[in-house]
Amino acid sequence: MRLSGRLRASLIIGGQGIRARKLRTFLSMVSLFLGVLAVVVVQAGAEIANRAMLADVELEQGIDGTRQMYLSPEGQTVPVALEVLEGRTDAVAMAGTRAIIGEPGVMPINKGGGPIDQPGYGGPSMRCDESGCYPVNTGDAGAPQGQAVELNLVGLTGDIRQFRPFRASQGQWLDFGGEPSLAPRLVLNEHAAKAFTRYHVPAEMRVDGATANPTPQIIGVVDDGGYQPAAYVRIDELMNWMPVTSVGDSNSGPGLQVLMTPNAAEVEHTLRARLIAAGIPGDRIHVNTVETLKAMSRELALIRWIFLGMAALVLLIGVAGILNVGLATVGERIEEFALRRAVGTPRLLLAGIVLAETLLTGLLTAALAIGAGVVGLKLALMLFGSRFPSLEGVAFPWQAGVAGVIAGLAAGILGGLVPALRAARIPISTVMRA
Amino acid sequence: MTTSPFLTPSPPLPPVSQPPLIHLTGVTKTLKGQDEPRTILAGVDLTVNPGDSVAILGRSGSGKSTLLSLIGLFDRPDGGQYLLGERDITKIPERKAAALRSAEFGFVFQRFFLLKHLTAAQNVAMALVNGQGWLPRRKRKAKVMAALERVGIGHLAKHKPPRLSGGEQQRVAIARALVREPRILLADEPTGALDTDTGNLVVEVLRETTDLGCGLVLVTHDHDHAAKMGRVLHLSDGLLRPTGQRVVA
Repeated sequence: MRLSGRLRASLIIGGQGIRARKLRTFLSMVSLFLGVLAVVVVQAGAEIANRAMLADVELEQGIDGTRQMYLSPEGQTVPVALEVLEGRTDAVAMAGTRAIIGEPGVMPINKGGGPIDQPGYGGPSMRCDESGCYPVNTGDAGAPQGQAVELNLVGLTGDIRQFRPFRASQGQWLDFGGEPSLAPRLVLNEHAAKAFTRYHVPAEMRVDGATANPTPQIIGVVDDGGYQPAAYVRIDELMNWMPVTSVGDSNSGPGLQVLMTPNAAEVEHTLRARLIAAGIPGDRIHVNTVETLKAMSRELALIRWIFLGMAALVLLIGVAGILNVGLATVGERIEEFALRRAVGTPRLLLAGIVLAETLLTGLLTAALAIGAGVVGLKLALMLFGSRFPSLEGVAFPWQAGVAGVIAGLAAGILGGLVPALRAARIPISTVMRA
Repeated sequence: MTTSPFLTPSPPLPPVSQPPLIHLTGVTKTLKGQDEPRTILAGVDLTVNPGDSVAILGRSGSGKSTLLSLIGLFDRPDGGQYLLGERDITKIPERKAAALRSAEFGFVFQRFFLLKHLTAAQNVAMALVNGQGWLPRRKRKAKVMAALERVGIGHLAKHKPPRLSGGEQQRVAIARALVREPRILLADEPTGALDTDTGNLVVEVLRETTDLGCGLVLVTHDHDHAAKMGRVLHLSDGLLRPTGQRVVA
């Protein structure tokens, strides 16, 4: 109750002091504004960048800790890998291949497999080897333009979502139980779904290396964080239509990729041993651990701290401004503080009054800076939102607001501490000598 | 005894058997500046009872204000004893002294020390919003208005000091001193900045606070004002001597 009374007293008197010296308060706020704004902008920018860069990184790169093995689809690699991984839930192989779904015998609307809104994005299919890269004969040269969509068809041996947490959009995910269907069941990513929403095409699927063109069943849509049309399919359903030696032998993907949980060391050892036994050189088996999120977070944090350091320097200038004004004000208010002590105000409360004034000034400035940040972000979204799709739907991050308030309070404390101590030390006898 | 038109009817005087409000015995104070230490008070004895009005006269530099600052706990004596009621507060720490200044003493200074940016009422309320307990806004306002009415300027509550005359400003300062209903009122040359008539009026207001049982110690250069007090003491050579007791006509 006692503390509450003192707190209230300091706020009332601090508020009176601010109202009495509006111009000085305004000048203090001006000097502090840029510093707090800098903190708010850096924090907001860092949070938005974080969200934009990190939100989809797990979808694309995999959850941190995932062990990834890359295998070149040569010799017995694919059959051995598929045999070792059959029925396993702690390791999943994925193999990408090029597929075209739509009208038979036509040139796809997105040749190269790029986004349908960006023609020519993907460019012609290329194949690279020791002698260099050259265009692949996709067999559709001279074909007429038609309604067909080219996409990256990813065959899976199991549920990949434990490694890459795709977000379900519509329908269902692949069921890896039961017999494989002769009509391969596909789960599209959102870019592929968008393409098929726009082009209602006949359902014939041309797959590189397939012996015939199957009719696919589209069963669901997921957000996989990718930027190009893709579809996911059970690899055994794909193999109904193509020989095992053609799996992963594509220009669309990195060959065969095996994803394993950190605890699947036994699978990794077995697979490596079997592959080496099948004649695959050990140095062609590449394994690494996904640490993308960690690495990116570390880099972003470093960048954030560098910018926050610069913002702190600007804030320091604002603090110097508050300190300067505060010292001058205390000098002018010696008699007032002496009088307050004479009527029984404790020294601590006098210090509290001065601190309350600078803290209120800091908070007001923080409120203005946060307001400016919100308005600035809205303007930026209006002006540049269409150019940067990742900015779509971005809201002002609350962390930036908290950082602004903390910066305002810290500046208020730093700028008000010395004047507060001086105010508390003013002798009461000042009023007797006056 | 004359009665100021500004004061409410006086309650009966407290019984004589009450202990003195303040009792100073052999109080000494030496100022240590850049030069040699200078003894200002060399053994002051002073007793103020409830309802007493005491005037202290003396030349400039005789130590009147120093004595008042010791009584008001702005400073502490080097020697002697200071009793407030029956409590020895000679070496009271500052934190407790602040609480006592708030609860027991009211101060009126030569310069009024009103804050220009506050209204008369807010200036008076300053003594209530001092961290020594908390009064709700409504009670605070009632007390402030009562104090202003008591010194006859309730109608000026919303005026700021620059719009008030010297006498009105000093009465606001007196209201500020009285608002916590102190037991002792200390006035340090309260008429020094006022003309004769206004000064007389202010002294009358101060003196009449003693009718309510408050003790008054008035430091002044003005013999006429001193003569209106119940006792007149003279401070010289660091000692306080009586100069005779006067009865106000």
